[in-house]
Order: sequence, then structure tokens, then C-alpha cells
Amino acid sequence: MSGVSQNVDISFEAISSSTNGNGGVPHGELLSKLSEALWSKNLKELNAVREELINAAGEDVFVDAVGVSAMFHMMTRIADGTGTPLDAGTDEPSADIREAIGVNHLVSRRQSAP
Amino acid sequence: MSTYVTELPIRSELDTAHQNLATRWATPSNSWSSRQRLSVIAEVRRAMDSNKLAPWEAPSSIKGFIANNHCLPDAAIDVIWRLTNHPGTLTKEWYESIISENIDPVAYVELVGLIAQANCVDRFADGLGVKRVDLPDPVATKTTITSELEVTVTTHWVPTAATKGPNVLKALSAVPFENESREILSSVQYVPTAALIGDLTSGHNSLTRLQIELIAARTSKLNECFY
Repeated sequence: MSGVSQNVDISFEAISSSTNGNGGVPHGELLSKLSEALWSKNLKELNAVREELINAAGEDVFVDAVGVSAMFHMMTRIADGTGTPLDAGTDEPSADIREAIGVNHLVSRRQSAP
Repeated sequence: MSTYVTELPIRSELDTAHQNLATRWATPSNSWSSRQRLSVIAEVRRAMDSNKLAPWEAPSSIKGFIANNHCLPDAAIDVIWRLTNHPGTLTKEWYESIISENIDPVAYVELVGLIAQANCVDRFADGLGVKRVDLPDPVATKTTITSELEVTVTTHWVPTAATKGPNVLKALSAVPFENESREILSSVQYVPTAALIGDLTSGHNSLTRLQIELIAARTSKLNECFY
């Protein structure tokens, strides 16, 4: 949605894997790779992407990116720990996006109440 | 004094927010004592740092895994490990099995809030390679967080209050104190709630909104979160 608002051409591949390019987002590939290293807790990968991202975008971006990723380790646990369903009215409009990023098979799939 | 000692440029409001969270973790509630709330955070750390148990392996089912004098009920420890290491595997049946172990649904919501916050604050420190926030001593006073909210089970597995907004922001509404803690972290690490939907273009801190949403979506996918 924010890509549409900003009239820029984005794609959803970078959400599926850091090997799929930057998705039209500045430093998208590195940000995706950083998210992966933080999730896997692979110190070697984390140190490598940290250096790469700081060189490319600066320390501020590295710190803020780690902050956003950490934030979504919280939000996912809130959603899945409480059985949060999709919001009413978002199921159909998000169908193509969900297909593109490959999340329809997830155990955590919960439909919004009719 | 700074919460984190590092040469990395951590914004002061973020540093302060994490210290604030540690203080809030020590604040007793109607459901959990200060010591129990801090034990939740300590147990999240143990779960994060150990070799993962498989999703079907509950700590309470492994002999000697939980200390006899642990101040948390076994079911709470099971929740901590499962939600920390396998959040995408939870089902309604699993939730109901926890509640059947004498965990009150509102106490469960508070537990989820604490576990989620610890995962956020500690993963931030780990990601930067800095020492995690020190936990304060338990608070001895009987001052508790009180809530007069009427809550019911409607859209979520857990009871929620009749508030407006996206379902995920409603998830902890049965325990306003924990919803407030979520908002404190959101405002310094993501996007303030007021700008969440109304403003999709502004950047926040050093990141553009597109960059923020890419990290958010990639992290959510890695955690196998459908929402």
C-alpha cells in the first residue's frame, strides 16, 4: 500500500527471500538479509550484513532496521499468541499479495469473522 | 545514564523506552506478582538462548527441566517456550489446553504481552551486539495494575475489550497496561499508532516507510505469521 501511495514500482519478492532482489525498495536486499540473520541468530551472517548495511546506508539505518525487525518479533507473537484473525474486509483485497508472498499455507492462518 | 553502552547511534527515546519497559516488567498486576513477571522475562531469555525444544515438547513434560521452586506455574513456562521459539505453530486447541491448566484468560493475555515485549527488547540488544537490559529487583509493594474493563471473547481466542482499530492492536486490550507497553515500543521502533494507517508515506527516523514495511513483512514471514 505504501508503494502505491508513493507512486513507486515495488514488488513482493523481497518479502519471501533476500535472494529475490530488493523489491524496488532502497537497500531492500540488505534489509531483507538483515531480517533473516536476526531471525536465525546466525552471528556470522549478522556481522557480515551489519558491515554491508552500515557501509551502504549508515549506522542509523542499521540501528533503526534492527529496531523494526525486533518490533515484529513482538507483533507476530502478540498476533499468534492471542489468535488474532485477519481484519474484516481485508481477506479478499489481500488475496493476491498473500499468494505472491506465499503465506496461505501457514498454520497461523485465521480468517476474519464473517 | 544510558540503558545501552555502545558507540552505535541508539536514539535517546528508544534507549529510555527500553529502561521504562524493564521498570514496567517489575510492576505487579492482579494476575502476576512482580517476582513472577520478572521470572517470565528471565524464562524468555532462557528459551531464546537454549537449544530449541521441538514445538510438541513442552518443558513441563521433561523431567527436571523446570526447577521445583520455580515461581511460575508449569503451564506458563510451556507458553513462554512455545511462543518464544515456535509462534507460528499455535492453535486454538493449544490455547484451550493452557487455559484448562488453571491459567486465567486475562492472566494469559498479560503473559503473552510480557513474552512478546521481552522478545522485542532482547532481540534488539542481541542484534546490535550489546548487553541486554538489566532486570530490576522485584517490587515489594502490593500496588497493582488494575483494570475495570469489561472483556469478552469475540474475534480473538482471548477476551478483548470493545475497542476500535486493527485486530492486532485489540489483541492485548484486556490488559491495558500491556497494550500501553506495546505502544511505547511501537512509537520508538516502528510507527506511532496515529500514523499507522492514516500516513503511509512519511519516513520514520532514518528509514522510509517502504523500508520499514519490507523489514516488518520479511520478519513476519520468517516467524510464519499469517496476520
